Amino acid sequence: MENQGFISFLWDNLQQFFGYTAFASFTFGHMIMIIVGLIFLYLAITKDWEPMLLVPIGFGIIIGNIPFLEGLSIGVYEEGSVMNILYQGVRLGFYPPLIFLGIGAMTDFSALISNPKLMLIGAAAQFGIFGAYGLALFFGFPANEAGAIGIIGGADGPTAIFLSGRLAPDLLGAIAVSAYSYMALVPVIQPPIMRWFTTKKERLIRMKPPRVVSQREKIFFPIVGFLLTAFLVPSGIPLLGMLFFGNLLKECGVTRRLAETARGPLIDIVTILIGITVGASTQADKFLQWNSIKIFILGALSFMIATTAGVLFVKFFNLFLKEGNKINPLIGNAGVSAVPDSARVSNNVGLEYDKTNYLLMHAMGPNVAGVIGSAVAAGILLGFLS
Amino acid sequence: MSNKLYIFLLTGCLLFTAGQAAAQSQSDMRINEILVYNTDDYEDDYGHKHGWIELFNTSRGTVDIGGCYVSNDRNNLKKYRIPKGDVLTKIKPRQHIVLWADNMPLRGTFHVNFTLTETDALYLISSNGRDIIDSLHFPTGAGPYPVMDYIADNNGNQVVIKGNIPSYPIDNVSYGRLMDGEQTGGDNGWAFLVKTTPSSNNVILDSEAAAQRFLTFDPYGVIMAITAMSVVFVALILLYVVFKNIGRASINSGRRKAEKAGVAPDVVAVAQDAPGEVYAAVAAALYLYIQQEEAHDIENTILTINKVTRTYSPWSSKIYGLREIPHK
Repeated sequence: MENQGFISFLWDNLQQFFGYTAFASFTFGHMIMIIVGLIFLYLAITKDWEPMLLVPIGFGIIIGNIPFLEGLSIGVYEEGSVMNILYQGVRLGFYPPLIFLGIGAMTDFSALISNPKLMLIGAAAQFGIFGAYGLALFFGFPANEAGAIGIIGGADGPTAIFLSGRLAPDLLGAIAVSAYSYMALVPVIQPPIMRWFTTKKERLIRMKPPRVVSQREKIFFPIVGFLLTAFLVPSGIPLLGMLFFGNLLKECGVTRRLAETARGPLIDIVTILIGITVGASTQADKFLQWNSIKIFILGALSFMIATTAGVLFVKFFNLFLKEGNKINPLIGNAGVSAVPDSARVSNNVGLEYDKTNYLLMHAMGPNVAGVIGSAVAAGILLGFLS
Repeated sequence: MSNKLYIFLLTGCLLFTAGQAAAQSQSDMRINEILVYNTDDYEDDYGHKHGWIELFNTSRGTVDIGGCYVSNDRNNLKKYRIPKGDVLTKIKPRQHIVLWADNMPLRGTFHVNFTLTETDALYLISSNGRDIIDSLHFPTGAGPYPVMDYIADNNGNQVVIKGNIPSYPIDNVSYGRLMDGEQTGGDNGWAFLVKTTPSSNNVILDSEAAAQRFLTFDPYGVIMAITAMSVVFVALILLYVVFKNIGRASINSGRRKAEKAGVAPDVVAVAQDAPGEVYAAVAAALYLYIQQEEAHDIENTILTINKVTRTYSPWSSKIYGLREIPHK
């Protein structure tokens, strides 16, 4: 009798323990999300696609989709949990400006300064944002959510997180994962569009080599650049301010240690935190919704529109440029701000047609202009829709 | 100019700026709403109903109103001094505070020593006792006076009249700004309000109103695309124009320097043009080499010798770290 009582007691305890394990509340949705996380890790580790982003996000997705009993302060959405505390940087939007500080400290704007007309390509490519905004409205999203989805077309993860955290916090996970996924897929998405919209003759255009830019010009750039853009779009100050401040640290020549910290340990730490928390925010019950699928479709379309706009703008611009000053339209894709992947794509596609035509330096111009353009565009959306 | 003079001027500028900043923050406070006769409205902590004065912090920073004065007499601007040192006098950004006009200052920080029935004026004075931050002369006597409301809808905000009151003061009708802290609509921004809102916004705007309104006027996103793309282009065209000119000035300056140094201009041009292409070729070659060869500096036991530079810092200097041997 006593023996039976003990077994019953043990069985009850085992059952209770099983209730606490993740197996008890594991669902099909969790399984799908964990598979998505594993695919991210696979792409990052074996294919080397944006490993700095996809490894933290992929592992974050796995962390976020281990089911648990609520109330134990474990989940990213449970107030007071460690993940929730780390997630505040995403929710309140202070990680993205810190990442912009690091980007500014590692970006060389020389290509842009030496040939400033390339800035206009960076502006044209932002059409992807507003094209996707219109499409998102057509898909039935409210204006604020459409604005947050549209920014995926800017091909800038921190900007997408910054804006969606303010305009549509509920969609943040889907938007961030979509933005980073397509950034990793830039080498796949862009080349067909670039080939489709250019002729062989255009692809062989050789551009003048960029001139040497003086230190003084490099110092002027972040100061003047910030003043001009921030006065025009004050709502973009958090991103623009940090971007240009980081660049000033790099170029002024007297803050080497600060610049190294911003472009080294600081951006690494913030990238880890933003990646893991954004990944963890994709809990199956919040992420596996019809809206997320729509966001992924819109994200792909926005990248395509941005690439097309950049390439077509260069072709249009060439109509007004003299022979010898023309721009190779293969750098039009670099106007989306996926730095430096889209510039690498320009270079690689250019080399396919002329083994000695290196477009990398030229493509870096519109590429970094795209960073400025997408931050300005985010400021405009924030100003209009918040 | 000597260093001392520079330091003096700099200190003066800093002090002036600090003083301005302090004054600036208190000057962001506004008288926002008043209620003269309170018979069925907001109660104080003692459970009593009195007239009240609502102040509003229009700034995006916390403002400490401790030390400021409130008065209803132009000839006695220092009538009631809001005590310093009370944490509650620190008003958070875009927040309100209610002062009780009950002539019972012993009841606490926010109970002033006059009532609103004594005069038709109200002054908020900065802590120096001289500068008037905000003032109000509210209507009194026979009316009729219109009672207004600020409506926020999808067609844009508008002020609408919701009836009249025969005279003022009248029980439980407040006089306030239609929009908190602003001077839009009504009598220089002021009107008799359809409902009292002590310690709260006089008008509550829906946070989604802006996006919703935009959608009403622009259902397909065309206006947004045109407007926003124009702004992005303007921003980058401005940068283009500025840096085109800075570039030209830089090239000309380089040429002038070279001419002074006796270097031929075409040599300068070659020197300026060549490196870009060279850098691109070298960078691309390195990139391809690294990709093809999968060169590592750790895994393949290839020893890489990097020059280690140590920048000078007094923190690590032995000169400052060693103690002098005492003299006999």
